[in-house]
Amino acid sequence: MTVSIYVIQAMHGLVYGMLLFLVASGLTLVFGMMGVLNLAHAAFYMLGAYFAYTVTVHLGNFWLSLIVAPLMVGVLGVLIERFLLRKAHKGGHVAELLLTFGVFYVLTECVRLIWGSNPLPVPVPPILTGDIPFMGMTYPIYRLFILLFSAIILTGMALLLMRTRIGILVRAAVSDGEMVDALGTNVPVLFMGVFGGGAALAALAGVIAAPFLSVFPGMGLDALLDCFVVIVIGGFGSLFGAFIAALMIGELQSFGILWIPRLAMVFQFLLMVIVLIVRPTGLLGEKE
Amino acid sequence: MMSYRAFQTGWGGLVALFLLFLPMIVPEMKIHLATEILIFALFGISFNLLLGYTGLLPFGYAALFGVGAYAAALMFNHLPGTPLVVTLLIAALAGLLTAIFIGSFCVRLRGTYFALLTLAFQMFLYTVAMKWRDVTNGDDGMGVIRPEIDLPGFGNLSLMNINNLYYVTLLIVVLGILAAYLFLKTPLGNAVICMRENDERASFLGYNVFLTKLTVFSFAGFLAGAAGGLFVLFQEFVSTTTIDVHMSFTIVLMVIIGGKDRFLGPVIGATFFLLFQDWISDVTVYWWLFMGLFFIVVVLYLEGGLISLLNLDRVWLWVNRQEK
Repeated sequence: MTVSIYVIQAMHGLVYGMLLFLVASGLTLVFGMMGVLNLAHAAFYMLGAYFAYTVTVHLGNFWLSLIVAPLMVGVLGVLIERFLLRKAHKGGHVAELLLTFGVFYVLTECVRLIWGSNPLPVPVPPILTGDIPFMGMTYPIYRLFILLFSAIILTGMALLLMRTRIGILVRAAVSDGEMVDALGTNVPVLFMGVFGGGAALAALAGVIAAPFLSVFPGMGLDALLDCFVVIVIGGFGSLFGAFIAALMIGELQSFGILWIPRLAMVFQFLLMVIVLIVRPTGLLGEKE
Repeated sequence: MMSYRAFQTGWGGLVALFLLFLPMIVPEMKIHLATEILIFALFGISFNLLLGYTGLLPFGYAALFGVGAYAAALMFNHLPGTPLVVTLLIAALAGLLTAIFIGSFCVRLRGTYFALLTLAFQMFLYTVAMKWRDVTNGDDGMGVIRPEIDLPGFGNLSLMNINNLYYVTLLIVVLGILAAYLFLKTPLGNAVICMRENDERASFLGYNVFLTKLTVFSFAGFLAGAAGGLFVLFQEFVSTTTIDVHMSFTIVLMVIIGGKDRFLGPVIGATFFLLFQDWISDVTVYWWLFMGLFFIVVVLYLEGGLISLLNLDRVWLWVNRQEK
């Protein structure tokens, strides 16, 4: 009996960790490539969740939002990169950071303006409601869906990055953008694409998080703080590092709540501080 | 022809007169606002010692403000007889110690890394303030009673009177801003600016970059802690809002909008921000949206902030042309 509680709790941690990685992966990819920590990323995630709410409630189809939300947010991301971020580029990284911070604020306020400040429930699609028996207890099907879905997306992303020409270009631009530019690739367009792709990924994470966490204007900030811890621990710009860190944080929160609920939030910061003292560049990060 | 020096002194004198006689000119509600502006001016100036002069962007700067605020509140509540100066000094020292602690981890880093690590520490302290209910009373916060001060020649003055509070705040804020100004004039202040431009070269010249930056960070923390203490005195209340992410973000907005390249930029920023907030919050509850849009415009098109529009040199030239 006690063993199954731990297993269930570990599963909860795994689900949250995967979700966290889905959000953090876009963030760390953009950071590795452009050197910009895109604070607006969290707002993209939140927008995804709100689009899921609107589509599910007004069109009655949750699955449709899995297509609509990433598309719309992806386009928004491309526009923001093209018309705002690129202009801030000459001001250096601090100006870029400030710009994405401003975009984050404006998007959060727009969400408040359009959807209001109250939490909105997003119903779980009928096929995925209910629980299945699991080690003598039950486990919600929707959480298993999150696990499966993020695993599929992440495998897809890994294949895209490792096995396709675009993936090779992206990885090359992460390691030396100027050289890729000199070799004849249109790096600004590549940046724009990655930025949009990252935004779409965040929106996708927002959609599948929506029935699980409910939708409210503070969710962007919550996600931002968790993601930030993830990419600091994993090492800025390292996808695999972020993966490990996301699972660590997921489990840490899950078991922290089980054992010492009052201090659950403190744990992840302690972990981050310890990692930063021992390895200032994060687990797998390269030197700044 | 008027000398530039005389012109500057004239402007300074006018502003000083305005601030001194403000309670006689405007209604009590606006004195409230003016007191708040003064506090955020000091907070902003201390922030800009890091952003504008050291080239470090502390995203979690409310940590220092909040610790000062809590220290002052605890002093007010548990040791009510303490002279106000001592309480504020303790608030400032709390800010200083926090800054030494946070800074020893952060100031080795630059740019985004520094910005976000300070944010992490601020979030950590926020969580502590939230969860350590025995001391901080969590997000319910603690009420504070403004003390009386005993001023030779004036007798006992109650700070419940907003005008008295305004003058006390004015005095402390002016002293704090003056301290920041003089700090920048010292050789240490020059070394800091040198490190903003190129800290590798500074270290080749023999400066201890880590220690110098830590000193600035701590000094800024001292001023931010004092501002936090004043804020508690002003609000008669302390809660986690003094140490949360929004406070951190607010000061970033204020300083960037005001202008980080000039010493008084943050003062203009705090003034504009709070006046605008006062005006627009009657009109719409979504005023953060406008502030956010305005912020984006400033970041993209007005790098020097509002103060760069307020060019005294140009006024001086214009005045001289009229005299000819």
